[in-house]
Amino acid sequence: MNGLLGLVAAVLAIALIKATPLVYAALGGVISESAGIINIALEGMMAAGAFSAVLGSFYFHNLALAVLVAMLTGAALGLLLAYLAVTQRADQIVVGMAINVLAIGGAAFLLAVVFGQPGASPEVKSFSSLGRVASEGLMDLFVSPGRYMLFWVAIALVAIVHIYLYRTRSGLHLRAVGESPHAALTAGINVIGYRYAAAIVGGALAALGGAYLSIGEVDLYSDGMVAGRGFIALAAVIFGRWTPLGAAGACVFFGFFSSLQIALQRAQVPAQLLEMLPYVLTIIAIAGLIGRSRPPAADGVPFTA
Amino acid sequence: MTMLRRLAPFMPLLAVIALSFFIVIAAKGNPIDAYSALFQGAFGSLQGIAETLTQTTVLLFAALGVAIAFRAGLFNIGAEGQLIVGALCTAVAGASLHLPKMLEVPACFAAGAIGGAFWGLIAGWLKARFGASEVITTIMLNYIAYLGANFLVAGPLRGSASAPETAQVWSTAMLSPIIPLTRLTAAFPFAILTAIVLWWWLHRTVGGFEVRTLGRSERAARYAGIPVQSVIIRTMALSGALAGLGGASDVLGLVHRFNAELSPGYGFTAIAAALLAQSNPIAAVFTSFFFGALQNGALSMQALAGVPKDLVSVITGLVIMFVAVNWFGKRVTLHGAPSADSDDLRDEPAPEPAT
Repeated sequence: MNGLLGLVAAVLAIALIKATPLVYAALGGVISESAGIINIALEGMMAAGAFSAVLGSFYFHNLALAVLVAMLTGAALGLLLAYLAVTQRADQIVVGMAINVLAIGGAAFLLAVVFGQPGASPEVKSFSSLGRVASEGLMDLFVSPGRYMLFWVAIALVAIVHIYLYRTRSGLHLRAVGESPHAALTAGINVIGYRYAAAIVGGALAALGGAYLSIGEVDLYSDGMVAGRGFIALAAVIFGRWTPLGAAGACVFFGFFSSLQIALQRAQVPAQLLEMLPYVLTIIAIAGLIGRSRPPAADGVPFTA
Repeated sequence: MTMLRRLAPFMPLLAVIALSFFIVIAAKGNPIDAYSALFQGAFGSLQGIAETLTQTTVLLFAALGVAIAFRAGLFNIGAEGQLIVGALCTAVAGASLHLPKMLEVPACFAAGAIGGAFWGLIAGWLKARFGASEVITTIMLNYIAYLGANFLVAGPLRGSASAPETAQVWSTAMLSPIIPLTRLTAAFPFAILTAIVLWWWLHRTVGGFEVRTLGRSERAARYAGIPVQSVIIRTMALSGALAGLGGASDVLGLVHRFNAELSPGYGFTAIAAALLAQSNPIAAVFTSFFFGALQNGALSMQALAGVPKDLVSVITGLVIMFVAVNWFGKRVTLHGAPSADSDDLRDEPAPEPAT
């Protein structure tokens, strides 16, 4: 492909690739917030996932196990969030902050302890070993499906989560728990159980997004590699009005800015100003200036029967 | 029993210190060596103590900012961004204004406070006017501040050939050490004084009463005729101003110019310090000192005992977690219902006083 068409395809491909980790984390956010648990710990969960995926790959030399280790780590942090937020009824924002600080610090601490070198891990087996890059932009996603497996899984997950939330009985129950837990309880729905499950699945998905960063995009973990993507995912949840399709759309939209930034580097457009856009747009969205963005009614409210 | 209750605020600390012993052992370190190295580094020499107090200074300003917002029931996660904006404004003022020292230093601190106040005000206004959760807006504003500052020091405000940073401030804007050969400056006593004044303001003035009432119950505040929206905006501005003073003390006392990486996360450690202090300005002096000592001592711990300094972040996270849960008495409750709260604020007109 040549010329303009090639450039467009390349920008689009980069946008989709940049959006992939955000989509995982944002879906995690949508699920836990739909059940009424605010998850501002997506950033920390992504960091934990990114690091533990490298750890898994380092010890097992197996990508499936590496992804599993990452998801289990995220699930454990989700369980911690659920225990503190649901059972202990602690403030969910404070708990989310604590998990962020703990997970990011913990990853840095373990990086130094396990690998004996601060800053970055050694290179490990990654998804890049599963296929070549033809560097033809969009075509790569089809030419090397193995390498971009996590991209295709993300697309499938968006559809699955959408169908689950809006087309299944269990999804309806989950949303009921987030909108009106007392009504849900009266209808015989296990409020506590749904909240635990949502936080755990949310954590596992956010960690999978982190794993994509470390063993999907590159082949190591380095300190600070998540670099605010968890908060961009949180922004996408809000911008996408707490729906899986909306959030995924917002992720692609934000990913598009990242790729535009790469394309526009030669045109002297300051990268920082483009990077800022997701955050600015989210503030505008939450202020209701472009249609009010409303969280589930019981989001963040501890449940007392 | 009363004795136990008095000790309750310290329980999270003791629990976390005990827990971190096991973490160090699990990391194949020697906890005794690690903690004695940490203690040595933080308090073992005059230089060490001075550096601990230096770290305490920036943290205390930011923690006071977070604490005052907590008292009004507002969760300001944006201290980091407000500190960055404050530091940037201070550095610009310090490099452009050229006044006698007696005027230059206060002017530069004022610039930092104004910058931080402006950044906090945005979140306060968005909350009061549109009911936008300050948790979300301050998170976003943190990144906007960081990226914006990066942009400014890379281009328009770049004042150094070697690195993306502003020009050095005039020598009249530099705080000199109050103990020779250390980095401890008059910003430290200024921070302590600020804490005392803030406590007095909070407990002895109408303005402080309004903040505390709003923090207890928005409904009660409304019925008492307190202008809730205006108190929210004012409190967020004050909160940002305090964080901005932290940024100013960092620039004037330590780095003398601005670069976007100057804060190692002071704004987030400050949240831990404010929570641990249960939002009491005087208690915040001590909790900031604790985290300042931890941050300073961690460097020696890493160098002498081989335990990575990131253990401090783990400890900080655990402290926040332990404080968040009411295992040790007082529960931290800030956000009963953020969404319902803000809707309330927007749609429900203040009731007319009965005639």
